[in-house]
Amino acid sequence: MIEAVDLAKIYNQGKRNQVEAVTDINIAANSGEITVFVGPSGCGKTTLMSMIGQLLTPTQGKVIVDKENITAYSDGWKAIFRRKNVGFVFQHINLLSNLTALENVMIPLLCHDVNPSPFRASALVLLKKLGLEERAFFSVEQLSGGQQQRVAIARALITEPKIIIADEPLTFVDEASARTITDFFEDLKKEGKTILISTHVSNLAKLADRTYTMKDGRIAQS
Amino acid sequence: MNRFRNLLTYALNCIQRYKVRTVVILLCLGISASLFSSVAFMSDGLVKEGALSLRYAPDLTVQGISSGRQTNVPTKYVGYIQEAPGVTLVSERIWGYGNIGNTLLVIVGVDLQDQGINYSQAYPLESGSFLSLVSNRTVVIGKAVSDLLGARVGSVLTILTESNTPQTYEVVGVFDSQSSIYNADLILMNINDAREFFGYPEDEVTDILVYVSNIDALTKPSLVNIAAKEIGDLPNCRVITKDILLKAQETTYGNRSGFFSIVWYVILVAVAIIAFNQTVVVGRESKFEVGLLKALGFSTSDIIQIRLMESLILGALAGAIGLTVGIIYDSILGAPVLRDFMLGWATLYPAFPVPVFISLQTIIFTLAVTIVPLLFATVVPSWLNATSDPDLAMRGSNA
Repeated sequence: MIEAVDLAKIYNQGKRNQVEAVTDINIAANSGEITVFVGPSGCGKTTLMSMIGQLLTPTQGKVIVDKENITAYSDGWKAIFRRKNVGFVFQHINLLSNLTALENVMIPLLCHDVNPSPFRASALVLLKKLGLEERAFFSVEQLSGGQQQRVAIARALITEPKIIIADEPLTFVDEASARTITDFFEDLKKEGKTILISTHVSNLAKLADRTYTMKDGRIAQS
Repeated sequence: MNRFRNLLTYALNCIQRYKVRTVVILLCLGISASLFSSVAFMSDGLVKEGALSLRYAPDLTVQGISSGRQTNVPTKYVGYIQEAPGVTLVSERIWGYGNIGNTLLVIVGVDLQDQGINYSQAYPLESGSFLSLVSNRTVVIGKAVSDLLGARVGSVLTILTESNTPQTYEVVGVFDSQSSIYNADLILMNINDAREFFGYPEDEVTDILVYVSNIDALTKPSLVNIAAKEIGDLPNCRVITKDILLKAQETTYGNRSGFFSIVWYVILVAVAIIAFNQTVVVGRESKFEVGLLKALGFSTSDIIQIRLMESLILGALAGAIGLTVGIIYDSILGAPVLRDFMLGWATLYPAFPVPVFISLQTIIFTLAVTIVPLLFATVVPSWLNATSDPDLAMRGSNA
């Protein structure tokens, strides 16, 4: 279970261009549930997701995962936490060019003390589940936006994390791919993963077990 | 171990992906390393040849001096020198230059009656036999002389004396090319033949060779010093020790290679700046990639390790390319341009292969001087790169 307590983020604190991106956020996300954050662009969804995923250090408050305050971790431990527990799906997809879909999926394994070769089969299974078995050996530049986002989802899952954080995962995705992705999120939920999604797309919001509506950096409705 | 191998795999992948940076660094550092290794191999070869040639050299060489210039030394000194403490053998030598065609060659006449000096061991032969003990107008010639004149064992050489009188000599042997530079242009003959050729009076020689007792290696340097001091008291003469000759050779070639070292340092600094710039440029490109990697679980230390591995691999690769080019340039191509500078007098003498000595020490040093500056030049950009915020991955490439 994930809890955010009194979470706040102020960019450029004390400077003239200070921005209060997120203020007084208190949320909870359970295992085996999809928690969705909805709200207009600039309302602080991405900042909140970054803080929950330990990509960003909050100015105030804490993130508690399975009763442990992970905000207090050092940068090194936060990296280990992400490595072992979190799979990210980014709005901008963020695949590495000049690599194949399969190679991109296997990248997170390179920071683990494992031989990646045996995971090749798992990576191919993931790509197959996402309808990309015939594109596994294609360079990612040859794939459509929807296909690329599916590769990114496979990459987020290759290390079998218990938390999936997806920031606007359907922004650059066609309708068919969007359907595949939403179905896949439902399957992950059944597997007991804790899934947090930020979105402004209604069909993703429909998946939510719990929805938080954000406005001006605050939770407006839960 | 798996983790190390994984990071190495990623580093290799980066080298492949950032092609422009890879090519620029390999090219610049490879050229720099090839220049350094080429000069170092030649310099080592020349010093080694010098040491080889001095292996059988006398402990002391006594030369005449008049108004500060070298002149002949009277043979009457021989008796006095023989009495000096520690001296076991004294031998006379006459040498100078002779003209064959337009080529100036070194003519050396030695006293073969001195049984204590094993000339045939000091100057190993490739073909033929060594000089006989009596003067009979026979010569042993260097490899370059043989190649230049097309002379073999049995050929007859005609050399012009200073008074333009042609004299003929039969070639009885050709020196081995092992220590090419110091006997390549040499014509060795009996001392009496040389006296006749140069027209020296009976009581003068070019120099007197002095050998000191070899019995105790520990006390030998002291004996040499004592003998040198004693002989140095003779009027109008100077005493040159073997150590001075060796140091002179090392200084000569060391200075020549030193000149190139300065040029090379300048090039290396330029290369380091280029490497720094390239890494900074790539750093900007890859900053976003680093953010992504960190989001995927890579730590800052992982990223620094990857970047340093890249530098290490690039440095080693550039060093290996430089060494290979240096070896090909020196050994196969004969070091055009650099050769003339290093040998200095090659325009006067017949052409002979530049001595090249490829030592493990030089190879290791070349690799070190390519890897270490690159590591230093890239460590700051790598660190700056590695500290990229993982949140960049969330914000996208324009963040």
